[in-house]
Amino acid sequence: MSRIRLATDVGGTFTDLVYYEIDEDSGQIASFNSVKAHTTPPHFEKGVMEAVARAGLAHEDVEVFAHGTTVVINALTERKGVRTALITTQGFRDILEIARGNRPDFFNLRYRKPEPFVPRYLRREIPERLNYRGEVLKPLDLSGLEDMMTEFKAEGVEAIAICLLHAYANPDHEQAVAAEVRRLWPEVAIVASHQITREWREYERTNTAVLCAYVQPIAQDYLGRMEDQLSASGFKGAFYVMQSNGGIDTLSAARATPISMVESGPASGVLGAAALGRLIGENNVIALDIGGTTAKCSLIDHGRVEITSQYMIEQSRLSAGYPIMTPVVDIVEIGNGGGSIAWVDADEKLHVGPRSAGAMPGPVAYGQGGTEPTTTDANLMLARINPHYFIGGEIEADLNAVGAAFGRLGDRLGLSAEDAARGVIRIANNNMINALKLVSINRGYDPRDFTMIAFGGGGAMHATALARELNIPKVVIPAHSAVFSAWGMLVSDLRRDYIRTHPMRLSDDAAGPIGATFAEMEDEALQAFLADRIAKDAIYYERYLDLRYEGQEHSVRVPVPCVRITKDILKEIIARFHEAYEREYTYRLDNAVELVTFHLVAFARIDRPDLARLPSDNTAEDAIKGRRAVDFDTDGICDTLIYDRDRLDAQTTLSGPAIIEEAGSTTVVFPGQMVRVDDYGNLHITIEEGRHGARTTD
Amino acid sequence: MTQSQGLRTVDPVTVEVLQQSLVAITDQMFAVTRRTAMSSVIYEVLDFGVAITDGDGALASAGAGIPAFVGMLDPAVRAVLAKYACDEIQEGDVFISNDPYRGGVSHTNDVVVSMPVFHDGMLVAWTANKGHWMDIGGSAPGSTSPDATELFQEGLLLPEVKIIAAGALNKALFATMTANSRLPDQLRGDFWAAIASVRLGAERIRQLCHRYGREVFRAAVRDYLETAEQQALRGLAAMPQGQFEAHDRLDDGRPLHVRVTIEGQRFTVDLTGNPDQEPGPLNATHDATVVSAQAMFKSLVAPHGPANAGTFRPLRVLTREGSMFAATRPAATGLYYENKLRASDLILKAVAGVLAQGRAAGHFCSVCATLIGQADPGQPGRSFIEPEVGGWGARIDSDGKTAMFSTSHGDTFTCPVEVNEARNGIEVERLALNDSAGGAGTFRGGRGIDLRYRILAQTGWVTAAYTRSTVPPWGLAGGHEGTVNTLQIVRTTGQMETPGRAASLPLQRGDLVWILTGQGGGYGDPRQRDRKAVIDDLKNGYITRAEALGPYGLRDRDIDGVTA
Repeated sequence: MSRIRLATDVGGTFTDLVYYEIDEDSGQIASFNSVKAHTTPPHFEKGVMEAVARAGLAHEDVEVFAHGTTVVINALTERKGVRTALITTQGFRDILEIARGNRPDFFNLRYRKPEPFVPRYLRREIPERLNYRGEVLKPLDLSGLEDMMTEFKAEGVEAIAICLLHAYANPDHEQAVAAEVRRLWPEVAIVASHQITREWREYERTNTAVLCAYVQPIAQDYLGRMEDQLSASGFKGAFYVMQSNGGIDTLSAARATPISMVESGPASGVLGAAALGRLIGENNVIALDIGGTTAKCSLIDHGRVEITSQYMIEQSRLSAGYPIMTPVVDIVEIGNGGGSIAWVDADEKLHVGPRSAGAMPGPVAYGQGGTEPTTTDANLMLARINPHYFIGGEIEADLNAVGAAFGRLGDRLGLSAEDAARGVIRIANNNMINALKLVSINRGYDPRDFTMIAFGGGGAMHATALARELNIPKVVIPAHSAVFSAWGMLVSDLRRDYIRTHPMRLSDDAAGPIGATFAEMEDEALQAFLADRIAKDAIYYERYLDLRYEGQEHSVRVPVPCVRITKDILKEIIARFHEAYEREYTYRLDNAVELVTFHLVAFARIDRPDLARLPSDNTAEDAIKGRRAVDFDTDGICDTLIYDRDRLDAQTTLSGPAIIEEAGSTTVVFPGQMVRVDDYGNLHITIEEGRHGARTTD
Repeated sequence: MTQSQGLRTVDPVTVEVLQQSLVAITDQMFAVTRRTAMSSVIYEVLDFGVAITDGDGALASAGAGIPAFVGMLDPAVRAVLAKYACDEIQEGDVFISNDPYRGGVSHTNDVVVSMPVFHDGMLVAWTANKGHWMDIGGSAPGSTSPDATELFQEGLLLPEVKIIAAGALNKALFATMTANSRLPDQLRGDFWAAIASVRLGAERIRQLCHRYGREVFRAAVRDYLETAEQQALRGLAAMPQGQFEAHDRLDDGRPLHVRVTIEGQRFTVDLTGNPDQEPGPLNATHDATVVSAQAMFKSLVAPHGPANAGTFRPLRVLTREGSMFAATRPAATGLYYENKLRASDLILKAVAGVLAQGRAAGHFCSVCATLIGQADPGQPGRSFIEPEVGGWGARIDSDGKTAMFSTSHGDTFTCPVEVNEARNGIEVERLALNDSAGGAGTFRGGRGIDLRYRILAQTGWVTAAYTRSTVPPWGLAGGHEGTVNTLQIVRTTGQMETPGRAASLPLQRGDLVWILTGQGGGYGDPRQRDRKAVIDDLKNGYITRAEALGPYGLRDRDIDGVTA
């Protein structure tokens, strides 16, 4: 008998499922497996159930079921939400349409401003007004709501967002409006802005409430269907939903504010990297996730995953996009993945991405009609990927077509086919290096102090070259790196972020109010967890303050100890602020320091079994599956040993040049780099230092 | 073509990697300034820019949030190069300048810091940063005053002097700068934000030279300029040849004129036939007018892709010395931006009928810069400045954009009401779309805004000078004119005032500052507008009932029961 813990990650093309089998007697993990099923829009739950069936698992054995889904982001980007109305403060219904007036594509006179999700006639005002201290300037008048609801019903409204000015400082009026709407129209979906965030900036908060309301009925239906199907199949365990903040949460919480699921997939990978880092003693980590269409990276400083509440959808150099003020793991994402297409512009310049060949037709090598070479094709061309073991041997790569595609590309640039393929890799790598610099050097972190944990289908292929360029001394390729994001959910605790804007100067007498506010927030978190029947002793907190120099706008987040806030602690906090500020911006000021926002993270610990250890019977030689000539660009074409990752035992070592193959991924080890396999099957690759001599920081 | 000779030895992939890195570096310089600046006009309004030039001061890459700041920094670098001998420019130096007539281009508030980048002792590039500092001294708070009659009243002039010599801050000069400012803390913060960005850029360029070789780096920069030039020429080749003229009027009635000549590989903007410079600060230097024409040229020939010195090679700009577009020192230039906007608006009007990018009616055409101050007895006064959003002209195929900053802005952000009230101690009584009639057309002009500020302190003042306050944005192809930008004061007594140009106009507690920005012009006959769209407009309150029945030609029974 064994118990099962599983996680499913619904992606654009595939639904990944990973699971542990836990031995009842030892409490240890007996096995760790993964399966894939096709994603089945719009009934995503079918693909999930199919994946469970493929794994041959009995639902009654499953004790933890963690679930990440793109249902929210899909409903937003495909405009498949419900007709939504907005109730706001008198005089301000156009905030949603005025937005912030910005035009990032600033030479383009034909720029199109993003359309608000609620048309003007469904944006209604209510008499009331607070000031920035949360004091009532004009009392709330609910008398117009009954007629308003009648009109909304007549217009086919299904969800109502409420956002009032300064509700971050005092949510009383929003709560009263929500209660009255609920009384008048119990069936309608209602979202008030303070339920999601208590940060200031009315356009961002209004848009957040609107987008949340817009998707709420969709998410409710979806989660409801999942729950029904699971309970019908005999599942009795705990069901959790992956959140954008890098934690999981209960079903009831996810239903109330589904917008918090908007970026759940990428978040779990970063969280997994943090958890793996803890396990292997690496606290400073740069997480790199290279998928089919994008590469994502995030920095983990002393084990802490960075969170931002300035998340945007559909934002680019061409569009202002839409802000969503929900805590999201701070990820830099670029349109560079395995399927990214290489192309030459009118000026004969070579580019890679952001357009992707996707699953259909896919890279040229798929032989499904693709003619434009991709990054994956370039890796095949250079023999870094094994054409006979392409996608785990599912198909034989069409090398002739790949060669011809690079021939055409090279002709336009005056390069050989091989040089064109090398060029594609170099440009793709350069794009990723610029993204990696954004999360590290640009914020004052020295990459030499970090370990890169690379995953996703393409992570292992590019990580060693990227690390070498950035002088990152070590790369770790986790076991099952292609499905690592799903694994992240299995090592996640319940996490809820509470954020409150409450500006105050950090003078000595601020210690009391700060302590009181944190205590109030902790109590709110505690009550919410207790209501979800979570044991009190599983709960723990992290505290942060967003601080800035008085007069500045942008703040720096500083961790705060979970102890009574005294004058001395306050001094320590201010010292930490100066330090963090100087790291990020290279100077410090004598100006007074101001507190802007409180950030409390409430966790509920989920017990985790220990990972199983690999045997250490064999040497690396036993895992050699062949040899071939591999092109390492400037390091030359080398006769290279090919290793089967599944046969690499614990504590084996090998040196580059080498290629390590597994079903979903290929690890490229450059000449001079050393690989050690740890007890859990993770590859630790030591990057030869100073290869290019370029120091990346002072 | 000699410029590409050196490239033969450099492979195209390396060139591309280096050029993408130039863009990444200016992006990074931009981001660091934005995050660290003290003045909201920098971090919200994005009244700043960063640039990399080659060793000779030719713009290679600009990081800007607004088009008006591309091409604004390299003149300062060239002014430094003209003033100092080679051996006087050393590693670790930073120069500072703000004189509009000596490479400063715009107005004294815009302070440029520029830093030479050396690699192995050789000057390879410059990094520069220019931002609008809130107060650099002068006769009025905020340095810009509609009453100024000479440059000297607009603040401390910094004639491309070394503020940092070989890494060491010139403390005497810095103390002088802070002593001259009414807002020394903000000045300090903005200064160090600028320094952080030019230093970061310089370090990144040194790394590129180290990694790829100095000559390869320089070759890639030359190629980048050439690529941009080729893009511009391709755009130009697709345009109709000929002369295109436009006329307009200043708010005081004086006539404006532009002649745009497109001939072969030349795009000439002739602004010589325009009014004299004025005694006040509504004057642009020739350099500022050129920058404005550059931005419009870029929009018309190739709105995407690199914008650098190569882009602007086909452009010629003619102005008349002593005119509003080429003022003579020491004319005040505080409000230069309204003239700059006028220049680009004239160019746009000239080509509106013929160029694809330009097929649009006129927009509200003003920065609508509004400076409001408040003071209570015994407390330091406080003030804020902000540009306003307004309506854009309808296009040949779509309605005008609603509530956007002017064409000389870009990724500029409005200040949130909640932040504004907390920071500035003012009350925003209303922020909504302007619901007045105007801009009717087959495609409708975008809507301006209706913004009302209530003064909460005992006393206050407001400074503003809006362009298009009497002459509305033009309609095109039968579309109606838009509406003008207005500033009104409603006193607590209920008395209304409409000052044309407010210079520190006194206010009392309870007074209302009421700003209406214009509706954009319409495109095409409003009677040709899709009937359902007209009814939707009425339902949404974008047009009035009178407009629906008037210019749009609906009958009463068409709109029975439709209410806004």
